[in-house]
Amino acid sequence: MSDYLEFRVDKFVFKVAVDCLYSEEGVWVKLEEPYVRIGISDYLQQRSGDVAFVEVKPVDTVLVVGEEVAVIETIKVNISLTAPVTGKVIDVNPALGTSPEAINFDPYGAGWLVIIEATEWDTNLKQLMTPQAYCAKIKREAEQEVKDK
Amino acid sequence: MTEITRKGVVFIVPCSGIGKTYGTVSREAAYHVTEDLRPEDTRLVALSKLVLGDEEARTVVAGNPAISIDGCKLACATKMVQESGGSIAKDYAVLEVYRRYKQFKPQGIAVLNEGGEQLAQALANEIALVVDELTSGKGGKENG
Repeated sequence: MSDYLEFRVDKFVFKVAVDCLYSEEGVWVKLEEPYVRIGISDYLQQRSGDVAFVEVKPVDTVLVVGEEVAVIETIKVNISLTAPVTGKVIDVNPALGTSPEAINFDPYGAGWLVIIEATEWDTNLKQLMTPQAYCAKIKREAEQEVKDK
Repeated sequence: MTEITRKGVVFIVPCSGIGKTYGTVSREAAYHVTEDLRPEDTRLVALSKLVLGDEEARTVVAGNPAISIDGCKLACATKMVQESGGSIAKDYAVLEVYRRYKQFKPQGIAVLNEGGEQLAQALANEIALVVDELTSGKGGKENG
């Protein structure tokens, strides 16, 4: 079970798993050598709303950082998520077809998206944020949004 | 789980969410059922009346089967029927319905797009069949 950094803004509580790294857009990356598992952060899922459908790139798709890895349709928005690492998709979460709401109720666990065999991990690693840095970033964003209301 | 066998009028309680697409879908579906598809067998109850404790609304909901239509996971319509002493014959969540009709993507707030209208109609058609079961005494199941 993951430990979390937590903070509250207004009535919302956001969690950041400490055993993951994060892309700017809110995709988490968890190293499970020799693979990486990815999903979306609690902050991103809460901002996006209830998930209606998820489409992820199929197994054997080769991705380069920045290429689309998944599309999530929620009651509010359609999100095109980009791959935070370069490599080949070796597994996709089979539960998302029937239970896409897993992304909402367990974003760091049952709601994972794909597992990738990362081929440029050492390079990709440098572009990812630590949980502390990501937490600070989204906290600033959330607080600013409340101020702007 | 509640079995409803009473023969009579079915009350339809949609989400009251204003400014929310899924709330609008729930209300449009409720209008289709109560005004077009099964006007003789159904009555619309405004969720706001239950929230405000309107005695007449609470009494009719408490004494008859109700079908709730929720626009989000807060499920206010279902909860308020239950808190008013009513029995949920069937509860619908618009998101779950949309997952069954992916081709009908709802958009719009005050006025739904074509997808939203089609989704509302599809939901209304499902509800009408449940109303038929309830009024013929076949019954329905909570959370079914």
